[in-house]
Amino acid sequence: MTMPAILTVFRKEMVDHLRDKRSILISMIYPLMGPLLLGLMFSFAGGTMRVKDAAPLVVPIVHPESAPDLVRFLEESGATIQQLWQDARVLVQGGWAPFALILPDEPAATRQGPLAVQLISNPSRFDSIVATGRVVEMLNTYQKETLRSRLSAAGLPAEVINVLDIKQENIGRAAGPAVIFLTMIPPFMIFTLFTGGVHVALDSTTGERERGAFEPLLMNPVTRFQVLSGKLGAAIAFTLMALAVQGVGFWVMLHSVPRESLGLIAPPGALRLMLVVSVCLPLVVLAAATQLLISSVTRSMKEAQTYLGLLPLIPGLAGMVLALAPVNARPLLAAIPTFGETLLMGQLVRGEGVSWIFIAITALATLVVTGLLLWLGFRLYEREEILFPQ
Amino acid sequence: MIEIRGLTKSFGALRVVEDVSFVARDGEVTGLIGPNGAGKTTMFRLIGTVLRPDRGTTLVDGIDSQADPLAARRRLGVLPDIRALYLRLTAREHLRYFGQLHGIERRELEARITELVATLRMDDFIDRRTKGFSRGQQMKVALGRALVHRPHNIMLDEPTNGLDVATSRAVRELLRRLRDEGRCILLTSHIMQEVSALADRIVVLAEGRIVLQGTPAELRRATGLDDLEEVFMAATQQTASLPALAAGQ
Repeated sequence: MTMPAILTVFRKEMVDHLRDKRSILISMIYPLMGPLLLGLMFSFAGGTMRVKDAAPLVVPIVHPESAPDLVRFLEESGATIQQLWQDARVLVQGGWAPFALILPDEPAATRQGPLAVQLISNPSRFDSIVATGRVVEMLNTYQKETLRSRLSAAGLPAEVINVLDIKQENIGRAAGPAVIFLTMIPPFMIFTLFTGGVHVALDSTTGERERGAFEPLLMNPVTRFQVLSGKLGAAIAFTLMALAVQGVGFWVMLHSVPRESLGLIAPPGALRLMLVVSVCLPLVVLAAATQLLISSVTRSMKEAQTYLGLLPLIPGLAGMVLALAPVNARPLLAAIPTFGETLLMGQLVRGEGVSWIFIAITALATLVVTGLLLWLGFRLYEREEILFPQ
Repeated sequence: MIEIRGLTKSFGALRVVEDVSFVARDGEVTGLIGPNGAGKTTMFRLIGTVLRPDRGTTLVDGIDSQADPLAARRRLGVLPDIRALYLRLTAREHLRYFGQLHGIERRELEARITELVATLRMDDFIDRRTKGFSRGQQMKVALGRALVHRPHNIMLDEPTNGLDVATSRAVRELLRRLRDEGRCILLTSHIMQEVSALADRIVVLAEGRIVLQGTPAELRRATGLDDLEEVFMAATQQTASLPALAAGQ
């Protein structure tokens, strides 16, 4: 029983690259960076959010003596008052305090009109956003309660200050910061599928030509199509391994982070993450086809790495754009390879419903482009120049 | 038998091989020699079907290599100048890979590998990865790779390049044995002494053309020189003065 040539080349490349530290590093270790990074973000952000309920709030105030009622209310609400003598702006800007209140330099007895409260905050810091939110909530409560007692003293019912009775119902799987974090999963996966098999693809084509090993291979009774198909197969297999590693990594991360505090109501399960990987499958072949094409026009590993280092950024851009400016899934968008997949992955990780027609259009469009790239790549490999790397 | 008829090849405006015709017969070692840049490696690539000629044909055991390159390759075993081994594969895995590419059945392939290990004396390193192999070990793996499918026609590009005296001698002995088995052997070299020690017939290339061909005795007679190295120098430097032997008459 003899082995078909494509399978022979595929098997050789798999054995060869499973022994290569760089291939293993890129396809097995690098993909874990996404889940690790996101996990750290979840943990840090979650830790900061937990402070909201647990740790006492320190309220730095300039001239606290000018509003004894407010200070008393804040202390009764659990806050610790810290009198400030120095410049509040410098303090907040330097990160020494998440926020500060500046009250007027005049005694309460002589003041007319509302108390001017200046809140100094730094929204570029996450701890400032959280702490500022807490103090604003306390100030609003103080305002409401003071107003209520004044209305009561005037003989009016307290309900007159309530115009709206707002009740919010979240039907998504995530809210707050968790939504942003989940939206980052598709760009990570797109990046992985364009990098997971890249070393295998390059080393077995451009690298082999550079080392002079391609020529002896072609002097065997095999066609270039068979040789390249086997090598492409190995690159695809390594990309799939990278995606699987990353998928498992995301699953473990999402089920071990402090999710409630971030608003992650129901993290995507294993089946949903498998579905996310499944919608990527046509892109895996597209990535391999792109790598083949680039290897066919580059003369050395260094040259190819220069181009392929930039390549993942292009499809990754779609994910970045969608993370910042979400758009609705429309059939026309499905026809743009990587954009359609990114949209689908976003919908799936957020727990939204997906349209099978959209999936079909996305897969078809990607496969058509892949077919064209493969055709071009195989044609370029038929050139005689391919044998002369230098 | 390898039969070359009017082979011509250019790269852009540069003509590398021009109207080359010769026959490498069964049971003979044919030496293709010439100075650097004479077109020897291009000839190898043309015969090995990785390059396509502009004009002319190559017949390998009667098979037109352009019409049926895969059939021609099945009958060829090639040892290229650059050995280019896979550093993460063992010597045995090399032989197995190339044997499988030739479609040899598994049991038969293992038997042939065992035979090659004994012939090429590879016992010490057959199951070691080829990273760090000496030149001699690399050459043996590359030679084993070229012979694993028992080709009738064997082409060797600078087979003793960089080898020590003992290994060079072992290679020469092996080639004589293969010739005595009736196989067609075509080797290139730019060292006349090596070719004269092995070749039954010599083809001298210069600037892409054949300037001289025949048996060593015929070459000596034609040039009036006893030393084959002198013959080589005369042939490659005075290409126009030897028209009769250039045509293989």
